[in-house]
Amino acid sequence: MLINALRRAMTDIRDNKFLHVVSIVTIALSVFIVSAFSLFFNNATDFLDAWQKGVRIVAYLADDLPAADRDEIRKNILYLQGVSAVEFISKADAYEDLRQKIGRQSSLLDGLEKNPLPDAFEITLADSFRNLVDIENLAATIAARPHVEDVEYAQKWLHRFNGIYNLFKITGLVLAGIFFIATFLIIANTIRLIMYSRREEIEVIRIIGADEAFIKYPLFIAGLAQGFLGGIAGVVLLYLAYILTVPNFSRDTVFSFFEIRFVSMEFAVALIFCSMMIGWVGCYFSIRKFLKL
Amino acid sequence: MIFGSQKAPVIRMSNVSKRYGKMEALRRLSLDVYENEFIFVSGPSGAGKSTMIKLLYGGEMASSGAIIVDGMNLARMSRKQLPALRRRLGVIFQDFKLIPTKTVYQNVALVLEVGGLKPKEIRPWVMEALEYVGIGDRADELPPVLSGGEKQRVAVARAMVGAPKIVLADEPTGSLDPDSAARIFSLLKAVHRSGATVIIATHDQQMINHHNGRMIRLEKGRIAVPEIPEAAKNPNRPEEQE
Repeated sequence: MLINALRRAMTDIRDNKFLHVVSIVTIALSVFIVSAFSLFFNNATDFLDAWQKGVRIVAYLADDLPAADRDEIRKNILYLQGVSAVEFISKADAYEDLRQKIGRQSSLLDGLEKNPLPDAFEITLADSFRNLVDIENLAATIAARPHVEDVEYAQKWLHRFNGIYNLFKITGLVLAGIFFIATFLIIANTIRLIMYSRREEIEVIRIIGADEAFIKYPLFIAGLAQGFLGGIAGVVLLYLAYILTVPNFSRDTVFSFFEIRFVSMEFAVALIFCSMMIGWVGCYFSIRKFLKL
Repeated sequence: MIFGSQKAPVIRMSNVSKRYGKMEALRRLSLDVYENEFIFVSGPSGAGKSTMIKLLYGGEMASSGAIIVDGMNLARMSRKQLPALRRRLGVIFQDFKLIPTKTVYQNVALVLEVGGLKPKEIRPWVMEALEYVGIGDRADELPPVLSGGEKQRVAVARAMVGAPKIVLADEPTGSLDPDSAARIFSLLKAVHRSGATVIIATHDQQMINHHNGRMIRLEKGRIAVPEIPEAAKNPNRPEEQE
């Protein structure tokens, strides 16, 4: 029965090449877009994570703070959740560091009557403490400590990147939903068109005694095959785009500290499975509607 | 002779009516058909001949009354049971109803495929049926390249390949030239001789007159006074078309 249905499904696909190719291309494009967004999310998450590992909070202290008070503040900060280390950087060290960094222009500093830089603590965060909101809260807590004049971390960068990330996330989810609905409708309509173009044949087959399984199974197999082939084609398309694009991201750009990776095998298999399910469900609805007539 | 036989009928129609909106195509039709009968259903256009054939193979459901075909009550039959009944029938249409994208062989083989036979088992049966109707050499052709007579011979082969107990033919010679029509009638006679009950809806009076068989004349959806065909009046006369 199944072999027979498979054979007839192959014949159907051969006899309705154009319609099947349209469906497969549509599924492939949908899978491509969905998996491209997934690839972006995965790598953007990695990027954000890797970048946040480098985030430090710098707390600037009031001038002429006694050493005892300084130690007290240091201990207080060290006990805060998410803090792994606190290093004191004296204003003299900061001045010397600045002088070295600006190199030839260091003569500009000679005109200053006194060192304008404040004493500061450089606070290293724990590995598990990478959430932007947590970092913001921690920075606010440190800023509220007595004798802490100001805190600084890469707020703008983090905010901007997080904003873009969230925007893409929402857009991606909406687009993925739209594409899957579009795919479903296209498959349903393709099967309906096939059934419509073969309505006389189906009528004849029914007259000679075919039960509904005999008519339906090859169409279900064709729907699953469309989903499978479309899913594979979409993933292959993304892989080609990946291997053609990724080498262009130079190692010394912003991406230098992490590796752009392809979607996981599990995700690719799940996507192909979803495509097959969409093929099956699309088929189910159009057959149900058609065979009722 | 069949009349007055004590055997159970293979087809029984009891007070069958079929309405399409306000139009009544069949009116309280009652009819018993016995095993291995050869029946002509004649009458003018719109008399209800095609409707009767459609009701017998379950192409349409009766508006009222009971139809029993080969022991199966169509009125009580679910959609799922209908294929089982149709597999016991062979149906022939005026417009042949061949699948144009399938070869002659595939069109005939489909009946056995539907019946669950394997491709290897199917081949000898199909070839035998095609040879029988004289079209074995065109097994690989597509129906559109065949003449009307050839197409109808394929349809006859398709109707007989499953060795059905009952063959229904709706105007099988309606679109054929006289020679092709005569050949189709001869084939249907041969199917009858092999043991099948054959019911032919036709308005081809000449063919009716040349073949033995019981005639049922429909007029306005009712059975008119039965007529006895010329050939039946003189059973010793050899049939011209065979």
